[in-house]
Amino acid sequence: MSHYQNNYYTSRRQQNWSRNQNTTRFVSSVKLGPVAHTVLVALMITVLGLIYLTQATRTTGYDYQSQKIESQIADLNNQKSDLQVENARLTALSTVKDSAVAKTMTAPANTEYVQQ
Amino acid sequence: MNLDLLKGSRTRILAVIILGILAIFVVRLFYLQVMQHGHYINIAKTKQESRFAIPASRGEIYAMSGDQPVQMVMNEKVYTVFADPATVTNKDKVVDTLKQIAGGNVRDNFASLLDNKESRYQILATKVTRTQADKIKDADLNGIGFQEVSQRVYPEGGLGGQILGFVDTTGNGQYGLEGYENDALKGVDGYLKAVTDVNSVPLTIGNDNINKPAQNGKNIVMSVDRNVQSYVESALGNGLKKNGAKKGSVLVMNPTNGKILAMANLPTYNPAEYNQVTDIAAFNNDTISAPYEPGSDVKTYTLAAGIDKGVVKASDTYYNTDKIKVNDIVVSNATLGHTGNITFQTALTWSLNTGFVTIAQRLGDGTNITKSARDVMYDYFHNRFGLGSLTGVELANEAKGTVISPDEVQGNAVRYSNMSFGQGLDATLIQVAAGFSSIINGGNYYKPTVINGYMTDDGYEQNPAPQPTRSGVVAKATSDQVKAATHTARASSFGSTDKPGYYIGGKTGTSQVIVNGQYSNNETVGTYLGYGGGSIDSPQYVIMVQVSGTGQELGGAKDALPIFTDISNWMLGYLNVQPKG
Repeated sequence: MSHYQNNYYTSRRQQNWSRNQNTTRFVSSVKLGPVAHTVLVALMITVLGLIYLTQATRTTGYDYQSQKIESQIADLNNQKSDLQVENARLTALSTVKDSAVAKTMTAPANTEYVQQ
Repeated sequence: MNLDLLKGSRTRILAVIILGILAIFVVRLFYLQVMQHGHYINIAKTKQESRFAIPASRGEIYAMSGDQPVQMVMNEKVYTVFADPATVTNKDKVVDTLKQIAGGNVRDNFASLLDNKESRYQILATKVTRTQADKIKDADLNGIGFQEVSQRVYPEGGLGGQILGFVDTTGNGQYGLEGYENDALKGVDGYLKAVTDVNSVPLTIGNDNINKPAQNGKNIVMSVDRNVQSYVESALGNGLKKNGAKKGSVLVMNPTNGKILAMANLPTYNPAEYNQVTDIAAFNNDTISAPYEPGSDVKTYTLAAGIDKGVVKASDTYYNTDKIKVNDIVVSNATLGHTGNITFQTALTWSLNTGFVTIAQRLGDGTNITKSARDVMYDYFHNRFGLGSLTGVELANEAKGTVISPDEVQGNAVRYSNMSFGQGLDATLIQVAAGFSSIINGGNYYKPTVINGYMTDDGYEQNPAPQPTRSGVVAKATSDQVKAATHTARASSFGSTDKPGYYIGGKTGTSQVIVNGQYSNNETVGTYLGYGGGSIDSPQYVIMVQVSGTGQELGGAKDALPIFTDISNWMLGYLNVQPKG
């Protein structure tokens, strides 16, 4: 087979051919020199590095969410403590004694026990 | 095409220069990134890492209300409002807002503090609640900041102030349970070391992060019942108003397990306002900190020792002449007239000193308080009943008291004759009450305790039932005889004041006070020590009352006993003790 080449096609370098196989292959007219290759490789390495960094620091994104949630938890705990203090004040003996219900109560005149 | 540079050409020289410069860069980068790696890592860590202390919450203190724990001491977050006067832009707005929202918490001259532009920090208000702080924050005032502070809060006010103690400005407990159990209540602060961003948010970067959570303090549940404590404080206050005594103390405990149900002293203080106390003596819990000569209450101890050693019974007799000689001193009775052959029961009922000196003599050779008699008395008073020893109750500043050993020169017959009726020794109320409890409960000495258990995340965890520290301090038969004798002593003179159908017993005490090294003739301390229950076999409580005052002559029967009766009758109802018959 004679070697054929123009701007778009070139012969395949093959010795054994199969039926219906093209003997030529497409060749792009865009040519890259050594500088272009170097720049492309550098760009690919940079992109890979950026991908690595974003994945490695992805967890820090969750830190902000967890910090927000912890802040909410702390706030709710503070509210709960305040309510517990308020509850304790409302159920304190002095409050109960001064309540309207207590003021209407009197000491029993007599107490008797049922024999068991 | 031949790409080799020509030797000596300017292009070649330029290439060499550029390569040289690049080599310098590479060497410098190698030096900075490899050889100085550790140094720059440390600088980066110093700038990026932050360290935080995670404060531990101080444990809360609970009391019992029946069989349910209720909170007595809690923590509350409050805020200190401070200003940076140099950055405050609208002074009038700041003043008006603070007066409106936090009027009761602002400092007296806070408006003038804002005029001091050279200062960068001025406190304007303290103990501002969270709600107030949020409202002030909403006003968006320039130059105003907030500092969060945790403070103790007492929902029951001053109830049990001297049992609880207080927490000072350094966060340490002083006096009472806060002082004794400070380490357990304080907890352990945690620690966080992490890389942070510009807003100090910790990030999970790096392998050196340390996150040690705080261990919050233990939440202690006291054995003190707030209802009993409240009634006791009220009864003591009413009693002191009636008898005019300047000071009073009451202790109520369960004789079957050593648990303290109430401890009250007057004068007292409110732990929330400890910084307003002018007399430091108010912080002291006299039931544990003030040893005194217990007086005739201790006659029950002498009777118990005599019965237990088999030398006397309450029904045995002796010849009373209202005076008895011990070596070169003469001991007299305070109450005269019951002369002749009388029983030791009569001696107990009328609190005749001669009867108990006689018991001390009968512990010896029948005539003298010999060394062996003194050894027996010391064994009972000090080793078995615990006088002159720390009880170990979980409250700060417990005093030991003094019981002189018979092996010492001072432990002579004269001293021990005085000890037989409660003078010549020092003991605290809690020692006397705990020893008496061991006599009337069948002979088991329980260490007094104010701790019932702990409140955890899983709920209330009660301590196991207390076990006696010492068993067999007296025989059961001795215990029954002492109970019967004290019941008879009370019933014969004061039985009509008790609720009918119950078994109440006790002993008065009127002891002289040593002033300037001598017994004073115009100052006495009045005490009453007693127990109560449904029957002789089931004493439910021991109550000890003491009233005193400088220059005051106070009596056990006249001044302390009415307070005991008031509390005893109330306790029978509160504990739902069923009368027998």
